[in-house]
Amino acid sequence: MSIEEIIARARHSGSWLAHRQAAGELRVLFSQGKASCRSRARIAFLSSFTIEPLVDYIMVEAAGEGIALETYTADYGQFNQEVLDPASRLYQHNPEITVLAVEYESIAGAGANLITPVAEKTIIHHLISLAEAFKKNNTGILIVNTFINMPRWPLHILSDDSVPMIRQINQKILQIFAEDAQIQVCDLDELAAYYGYSRAMSAEMLHMARIPFSEGFLSLSSRKLISYLRAHLGLIRKCLVLDCDNTLWGGIIGEDGMDGIQLGPDTPGREYLDFQKTILELFGQGVILAINSKNNYDDVMKVIREHPHMLLREQHFAGMQINWDPKPVNMKRLAEEINIGLDSFVFVDDSPAEREMMRQMLPEVLTLEMSANPSLYSGTLRETNVFARAYLTEEDRQRGQIYAAQRQRTELQESVSSLEEFLTSLEMVVSIRLAKDSDIKRAAQLTQRTNQFNLTTRRYTETDISSMLTDDGWRIYVLSLKDKFGDNGTVGLAIIECKEDTWRIDTFLMSCRVIGRQVEDAFVNYILSEAKNCGVRQVKSEYIPTKKNKLVADFWERMNFELKAGDEKTSRRIFGISEFIPVEFTYLVFENSDRNIKD
Amino acid sequence: MNEQLQEIFKESFGLESLEDSMSIETVEGWDSMAHVGLMMALQQHFGVVITPAQAIELTDVASIKIFLKQQGKG
Repeated sequence: MSIEEIIARARHSGSWLAHRQAAGELRVLFSQGKASCRSRARIAFLSSFTIEPLVDYIMVEAAGEGIALETYTADYGQFNQEVLDPASRLYQHNPEITVLAVEYESIAGAGANLITPVAEKTIIHHLISLAEAFKKNNTGILIVNTFINMPRWPLHILSDDSVPMIRQINQKILQIFAEDAQIQVCDLDELAAYYGYSRAMSAEMLHMARIPFSEGFLSLSSRKLISYLRAHLGLIRKCLVLDCDNTLWGGIIGEDGMDGIQLGPDTPGREYLDFQKTILELFGQGVILAINSKNNYDDVMKVIREHPHMLLREQHFAGMQINWDPKPVNMKRLAEEINIGLDSFVFVDDSPAEREMMRQMLPEVLTLEMSANPSLYSGTLRETNVFARAYLTEEDRQRGQIYAAQRQRTELQESVSSLEEFLTSLEMVVSIRLAKDSDIKRAAQLTQRTNQFNLTTRRYTETDISSMLTDDGWRIYVLSLKDKFGDNGTVGLAIIECKEDTWRIDTFLMSCRVIGRQVEDAFVNYILSEAKNCGVRQVKSEYIPTKKNKLVADFWERMNFELKAGDEKTSRRIFGISEFIPVEFTYLVFENSDRNIKD
Repeated sequence: MNEQLQEIFKESFGLESLEDSMSIETVEGWDSMAHVGLMMALQQHFGVVITPAQAIELTDVASIKIFLKQQGKG
């Protein structure tokens, strides 16, 4: 049976037993190397209850996302020993992600009086010491869950004293780990509240097998945990592509006209307004927006520009394909225009026929199944986990705007006659400097997400970057770029291993949206001049080919790095610093580029 | 009943045919953990109630069939 069939059968049934069966079959396929997945990850589970059912659901969900999991599940109740013992099987498994799911009784002690400040201190203190021990022994991420705070007497008038107490403990957990890059808090209590406590918890399962959750909640919480996995592996989708008629507004603009379409605070129309609000929230989280609509361009643009109740305007869209061509064709154009892969797209369309066509022609695009009722559009979007990020950098928050500005740049490029004129008109300001602590998140993110202009495609976690920053043997340079349309943020990264007379460029990458503007040339030139200032004799570079980085196959050659005899296969090149001549970049202005020697 | 039961066993353990002698001892994948899932599935499919005490006894196909008959599902 194929992976797809195994997954489909488990999802069709929905039951834990079917997921358990499927998880077993998947493990066999993965261990025999018979199934190809786009990613692999090692994950571990520590808990105070029987967590195997959750592992089964996650195994199936992950496979559905193209991730083959290697799981390790500690015996229940063994979480303290596993975390504290450096030689435990947990650390032997060397997980990239570890899930700690424990009940508060297991930490406070059974029958403990929870209604005292002492209990709060005990629990928080215990979690902190577990987290510290974990960090000493593993470089991966630890996911700590909040405690599920189900009211014990929902219809009583006096509230149960434990409820405010646990609420307070949960708040504390969220606070203490908020700034910790290695510890991430999953607010499981919030998720249970969303699902409904009484539906989420199952006394039957609890009593039979110490499984506290219902099958429905197992499925939902597995999807929540997949969000962390996606974020860790950089499998987040970037762009939401929207149809117009009966998606952004009710009715058909070509037939009903500006006054006839439904959009506004009154019914019908407010359901579409609500959907646009939800889309704007995503935009604020850094999701890029685009339009793919079968319409007359001018009709749609008139609505976007002039309709009094449109929330989504021209400045929100990074691409607009409004014409009568098939939507998959337009989708490919959008991929080219915005310069991201088709597997970064999520497509929303009210028409089942358009959705089906997209699924068949472009399976890489995630086509969401939408309800026939527009009132439920927002809910569908809110329950996806494909845009979920573990954190938001400043670049993330502005990404939507950055890409929309890019569209305006392209329009400018089409209106000027020469490349030179275009580059000059952009009024670019470049800043290159050594990375600081505040750059760690963005630097790790760039290594994980950049595929096309990435010479070696080495992926680094925040922990990796952070330890290189404190190591004298490494230098990390970041490049940021502003132009007249806005601040592009940190868009270039170079990681260099520095030995006395030789530097090795371990990682060199640029965000795709800024390439072709001589910025990368300036970056290399800057690094070489730094090397010269440090008395380095030669700089080594490397190109590791992948499916996606053909764009830069000849980059080092173009930068005058020389191939040494015998290194043809490895694509390693060398630049002798004695050959270095600084280059002037007429279109670029340099700003605060510090040339300090790293101390 | 037999058909539904067969469907549950197929979905859960990949079994193509069902025999009364099959038990938690003989069927691959039917371990104590899967047993809980099986009890949940029986409750959902047949609309019966299985207490923890009964669940401990229902560890072979023959017992399950007798139990379901007693519950008026046969």
